[in-house]
Amino acid sequence: MDEFLQQMVTGLATGSVYGLLALAIVLIYRSTTVLNFAQGELAMLTTFIGWSIWEWGGHYWLMFPLVLLIAAGLGAFIERVIIRPVEGAPTLNIIIVTLGLFAIFNNVATWRWGGIPKGFPAPPEIQVTGVKFFGEGALDIGPTVVSYHDLTIIVFAVGIMAALYLFFQYTPVGLAMRATAQNPIASRLMGIRVGRMLTVGWSLSAAVGAVAGILIAHLILLQPPMMMGVLLYAFAAAVLGGLDSPVGAIVGGLIIGVSENLVGTYTPQEWLGPDMKLTVTLLIIVVVLLIRPTGIFGKRALRRV
Amino acid sequence: MRRPGRLPTSKIVVFAVLAFFLLWWVPFSHVLPEGVPFSLGTYRTYQASMIAMWAIVALGLNILTGYNGQISLGHGAFVAIGGYTAAILMVDYGWPFPVTIIVGGAIAGTLGFLIGIPALRLTGPYLAIATLGLALATPQILKKYDGLTHGTQGINVRSEVSDQVGVLADFMDDVFGIHFNNDQWVYFVALFIALLMTVLALNIVRSRIGRAFVAIRDSEIAAQAMGISVPRYKTMAFAISAFYAGIAGGTYTQVVGYVSPESFNFLLSINFLTTIVVGGLASILGSVLGAGGLIVVPELPGLVGFLPGADLPAELSWAFYGAALILVMIFAPYGLAGLFHRLIRIRPAMVVERLSAAYSRSVEALRDIRASRGQTGDGPEDRSS
Repeated sequence: MDEFLQQMVTGLATGSVYGLLALAIVLIYRSTTVLNFAQGELAMLTTFIGWSIWEWGGHYWLMFPLVLLIAAGLGAFIERVIIRPVEGAPTLNIIIVTLGLFAIFNNVATWRWGGIPKGFPAPPEIQVTGVKFFGEGALDIGPTVVSYHDLTIIVFAVGIMAALYLFFQYTPVGLAMRATAQNPIASRLMGIRVGRMLTVGWSLSAAVGAVAGILIAHLILLQPPMMMGVLLYAFAAAVLGGLDSPVGAIVGGLIIGVSENLVGTYTPQEWLGPDMKLTVTLLIIVVVLLIRPTGIFGKRALRRV
Repeated sequence: MRRPGRLPTSKIVVFAVLAFFLLWWVPFSHVLPEGVPFSLGTYRTYQASMIAMWAIVALGLNILTGYNGQISLGHGAFVAIGGYTAAILMVDYGWPFPVTIIVGGAIAGTLGFLIGIPALRLTGPYLAIATLGLALATPQILKKYDGLTHGTQGINVRSEVSDQVGVLADFMDDVFGIHFNNDQWVYFVALFIALLMTVLALNIVRSRIGRAFVAIRDSEIAAQAMGISVPRYKTMAFAISAFYAGIAGGTYTQVVGYVSPESFNFLLSINFLTTIVVGGLASILGSVLGAGGLIVVPELPGLVGFLPGADLPAELSWAFYGAALILVMIFAPYGLAGLFHRLIRIRPAMVVERLSAAYSRSVEALRDIRASRGQTGDGPEDRSS
């Protein structure tokens, strides 16, 4: 039972990171129907920028918002300069453009920071009325222990989700963005600046991705190929939850994180086991997709005659 | 989706042959003077063979994605099946290589058909990611079940193409006095298969089947209303496309002489999709051009290095490749084939006309700028016009 709980919690933590990156993917997909293959590499690049700031002596809580700002700026820049010229093109073309960005980001990071893995700091400890937040070590919660960093990740994922929910539901910009996602033409006719909303979407998405990058960099060392595996899990999570549902992205991420851990631990080592956990997880996703072809929370595709 | 206008078959065949002829020239380019970038002999021969192999995959993937509208990010898996089937049959059972390639293609095609059935329920990005899962799982499966696949160490295949084309080799030797080495024979075999598959693809896409694929891509409901069985043709597209990938896999085994789980990682599958989009979707010519482009472009920075003043750091070659992808997509949205069609339509007179129009436009624009500046005080002389 202990082992089971342990695997669950670890799975929830890594699943939250997958979910965050999936959320970043969904934010772009729902307004433009583009799968952004550069999402992971963008997060990796911004995490490297954060590492440099930290290396120069910037405090963690100074570096964190700074990285988010830089990521948001970078996201807006990419949308405005690189994606905008191909806006009306077939979706596959835009996907290829994001693959091009993937190559550029990966190469630039390797060129600038080198391929040697680097340690990335965890958020420093904060004491609020005797209760410890963040930091190193583990928290004993009865049947099992949870590392503080895992808790941090889960809290961040939930927090960002809540913040985005509030943003989309209760702010004028959020409303305009939802309208843009639903029907760009009608939105434009209603006076919404659709192009600007897409730019905001990209910068939001880049910022969310940056959080995922910063959080996972402490678990797996910081290096250029760091986000590749995470990106693939994030895609799977986004598809599992439904590509147009932000809630689905997080839920999908959690499901994948947990099931990956459980499959690795509880299937026969002989012919499945840890080596095959990715394969089995993907198989589960395909089975779910066969039952619900647009993911768990995805809108049913309606066919208009 | 707007696509470039169609050319008559004869012309397409001519262009396909032309493209292949250019590739054919490459292996013999070691007769070129010293210092010319292409005079690298064996490596260029290998590259030309790889282009032929990539062209085969691209043709098949284009039938599925370009003509039938089903996105696959998992074609590396089918290539792996073809490649491994060929390698295992040759090394463990001693079969002759032409048979292994055909059997590999058949097995991959069957599997493609089986995967095409669940794929019927998925569309667009969902299908893309589900097939990406296939590509991701491939290396793991190849490593895990090592009784059949020889595990992580892979399989070394000693290519015996030159032995098995013995009669032909003797003939070339006796009559023309030309002696080809094994690499060159492998290249000829790859080229021959690629040509065969190109002709087959041309026939498929211009037949009843091909028209059904296109009709389904453009509107499933309309296609159904016209009496086309959507599930039947969609799974058929998957099977044909996987068959192509399997044949390409067998060719790969001959060209590279080695298969391992890591040869077929997910980046390979993504590169296949890139090939057909960069080459041109729903275009046979584009599949071939894309294959050539994808193999050659990553090497361009090295070639640019020959130019004086172009000082691109070698470590940034991948970024260069990424930038090339983006530029092609921005300036040639229908890929290299679209660019080609646009180029052959341009007449010299048209170029002159366009250039002069652009020139007069820019002159006018300059005049406007000067005029507006003139209002604020400087550059007054152009206001009269």
